Amino acid sequence: MHSIPRADRGAGGAGKSPHPGVEFVFDRSWVDELAERAARNGPWDDWMLFALAVESERAKLVASFDELQSLRCLPAFEPMPHQIATARKVLREMGGRAILADEVGLGKTIEAGLILKEYIVRGLVRRALILVPASLVLQWVRELNQKFGIPATAQKKAHTWHADFVVASIDTAKREPHRELLLSRDYDMLIVDEAHKLKNRKTSNYQFIQQLRKKYCLLLTATPVQNDMDELFNLITLLKPGQLGGQSEFVANFVADKRLPKNEDRLQEALSAVMIRNRRSDGGIAFTRRIVRNIEVKLSPEEKALYDAVTGFVRERYDESGRDLASMLSLVTLQREVCSSRDAVFVTLFNMVKKTAEDSPLRAKLMELIEVIRRVRANTKAEKALELIRETGDKTIVFTEYRATQEYLLQFLKEHGIVAVPYRGGMNRGKKDWMMDLFRGRAQVLVATEAGGEGINLQFCHHMINFDLPWNPMRVEQRIGRVHRLGQTNDVKIYNLYTTGTIEEHIVRLLHEKINLFEMVVGELDDILERLEREEQPLEQRLARLVLEADGDADIRRGIDALGRSINRLRADAKRASSGRALDAVLPVLSVVPDGPDAAAEVRP
Amino acid sequence: MNAKQIHRFVERYLDATGCAILEKSPAHFKVKLSPAADRELTNRPYYWSFVDRTGVEPETMTLLFVTDPAKYDAMTAGADAAGGTSGSPAGAPGTADQAGMAALSRSFGFVPAGIGARVPRDDLHFGSRRLEQIFAAARRGGRFVCLFQQPDERALHPYDSLPCTPWLGVNVKVGFVCDMKREEMHAFGVSLATGAVVEGFFDRLQGMKLTPRLPANVHVTGASLSLKRAADLIEQALARKLKAYDYGWADAANERLKEELAQLAHYYEPLIESAGEAQREQIAAQYEARREEIRWQLKPRVVAEVVNAGLFHLTGLA
Repeated sequence: MHSIPRADRGAGGAGKSPHPGVEFVFDRSWVDELAERAARNGPWDDWMLFALAVESERAKLVASFDELQSLRCLPAFEPMPHQIATARKVLREMGGRAILADEVGLGKTIEAGLILKEYIVRGLVRRALILVPASLVLQWVRELNQKFGIPATAQKKAHTWHADFVVASIDTAKREPHRELLLSRDYDMLIVDEAHKLKNRKTSNYQFIQQLRKKYCLLLTATPVQNDMDELFNLITLLKPGQLGGQSEFVANFVADKRLPKNEDRLQEALSAVMIRNRRSDGGIAFTRRIVRNIEVKLSPEEKALYDAVTGFVRERYDESGRDLASMLSLVTLQREVCSSRDAVFVTLFNMVKKTAEDSPLRAKLMELIEVIRRVRANTKAEKALELIRETGDKTIVFTEYRATQEYLLQFLKEHGIVAVPYRGGMNRGKKDWMMDLFRGRAQVLVATEAGGEGINLQFCHHMINFDLPWNPMRVEQRIGRVHRLGQTNDVKIYNLYTTGTIEEHIVRLLHEKINLFEMVVGELDDILERLEREEQPLEQRLARLVLEADGDADIRRGIDALGRSINRLRADAKRASSGRALDAVLPVLSVVPDGPDAAAEVRP
Repeated sequence: MNAKQIHRFVERYLDATGCAILEKSPAHFKVKLSPAADRELTNRPYYWSFVDRTGVEPETMTLLFVTDPAKYDAMTAGADAAGGTSGSPAGAPGTADQAGMAALSRSFGFVPAGIGARVPRDDLHFGSRRLEQIFAAARRGGRFVCLFQQPDERALHPYDSLPCTPWLGVNVKVGFVCDMKREEMHAFGVSLATGAVVEGFFDRLQGMKLTPRLPANVHVTGASLSLKRAADLIEQALARKLKAYDYGWADAANERLKEELAQLAHYYEPLIESAGEAQREQIAAQYEARREEIRWQLKPRVVAEVVNAGLFHLTGLA
């Protein structure tokens, strides 16, 4: 009640106002019905139900403008202090229109759910539209239902648009015939996830959101500014036209250069009225620990022979090619695969054979290598992994880079009586969800090739084995992020398997000892890698060159050390810059202050 | 509402709707719903329209309402251990059910617990969907009543007849709304004989013995006020009361509304002026839409909503 939709605004008996500027509406719809029942002497309702109705309304009464009402309705789950503080600020100070710009992993979805729930409990929102990327639709539906008891529905058929709380993909929503239907309705609340896709005013997404009619509006993004100041202007203007003035005013007042703000203090003030950004470094946000163990694996003589043969082959090709790195990357892959499993090497070699001409001398060499593979009987690493899995006796996720290794591991674990399920990027949504269900249920192990892509939240599992390590540290971080996230209640144990005397040993040393990857925070790493790329080549390519050109183990070691040093230098740069005048520096101060004494007084009953 | 209050509430609801309680403890009810309650709670309109059209004997559902989940789980776990029975707490689905549920939830994202189980279980915490549903059912089922006060029989001479006066009782929920909201409940009573208005009427009624049928030894005196007139009196009384309230919140909301409208004007007016003929109309429409939204969001208003109302024939009050 009370969030009077536009159609019937002004209807009903508007009585004498109790205060200037305040409309007074007294509901009289009941008078006629009561009179009619009296005239016909019935039917009359039950006195007990009459009393219960009053009692339930009293219980639901919103007693105060300020206090969060929704917290007493969420027994299944306890939001974190910064999430509660965010919800409170959006309600009290922002009037329900805000950009939630927390860093990745701090629970923007939870904040949005909390705010939505609060407005529902207060009877201010009865119909909401939630637009998210297609891959996140079901996850949103699940979270809203399970955590918040909000009966959200995934949009599937035309009629589901008529549900009160609809979660849909923005790409579907903006297309006809959906578009016309949605534009003809009033939404008490609109939530848009991944709102950084709304940074360009000329896109159909932007224009569609602009045309929707809504009372409250939440835009969620972890990266409110990525490239230039214009994006910031567009995003804010979508939420609140005029907040940063007109386009030309904005440029005159706040833009020093495309990527550089000026008058930061004023800009911050204008932003803080519409944007909240919590950061991991703000404190008060507790994560469990990461415990990293590097596990050494000694190759069997056969495996070592294969490794050496492949290494020799790869370097020979590199020298032949005149040291052209670009064409060599697939060969480097070969050398990495050999550390993972013979199956992985075999598949790659086999494909190479298929591509080379019948009479090429290369073909003979490849066949030779395949012969060496034949001699390898066991996989020392897989045995080690099995040992670890048995040792923990708990849910474990195993990551590998290679599809063939994944197949092998599934087979291997099955032979040893361990229930394992696969997960990979190529699976469709339904299958992915199915695998997740199985892993949550009776499977002990999930063997995954893909860490990226939202939707795998594995807080219930805290053992992770890196069967092989990607050379791109972002991918390592993504893997860890699946398990080590908000809501994880245990310390996360990460096991890195590496084979001695191979390139893997160096990679582990670089990532773990030199740059301390496993203790870094997400945003930081991102920044460093971007800098590295801007200065020289991406890290992966630098590693490849190092491996191909190094003269012996000691040489590689020196190269890795140098690489480690330059990364650490960039890291120091990044730290300095983020406290300086970089574009992103406008944002940090906008976070919610950790709960003060006044907030601490409000605890759940 | 705490667990105990919820328990009491649900018990009275089940009682009022004539449901058969199969099993109960301070932490739960297992109940076979009455047809009336089944129509309200099980969300089976097609089934009920089938029953209505064919006249078959309806088969109502049996539900498990848990008002104190922790206690209930401890209790059933204890019972299971003692009895040595296999399986988890009541209502746990079998494995085939489980697989089916998993498939449904993969497709729809979420399936409420309980669907598919033999006796669906609902945990009734405050804010839970099932309790909300029971609240709503109570409200739908208790809108208008007509009741008579039962006189104290011992004090009455058998040949006497007591006069009783008709009253209109109305429970009003008042919402103070801008982008935020606060609520109050008021219970007004108006004597249809004299036009006297009293507050706190509902609580007074609760102390009385009321019956839907005209008791012996009682006669109803005539009403001199129409219901419409009585409703006017209540509205006036409420308006008078509301005048004395603090409207700082409304003034603040109006202030914000003014600021926001000014901000919109500042953004859109130059834009409209400089726009070409073709675009002007479109931008103007967008401007108007934004203004509408802001008013919708912020405009302060006081909304009085009637929860329920009734005619009460009272011997004690004139």
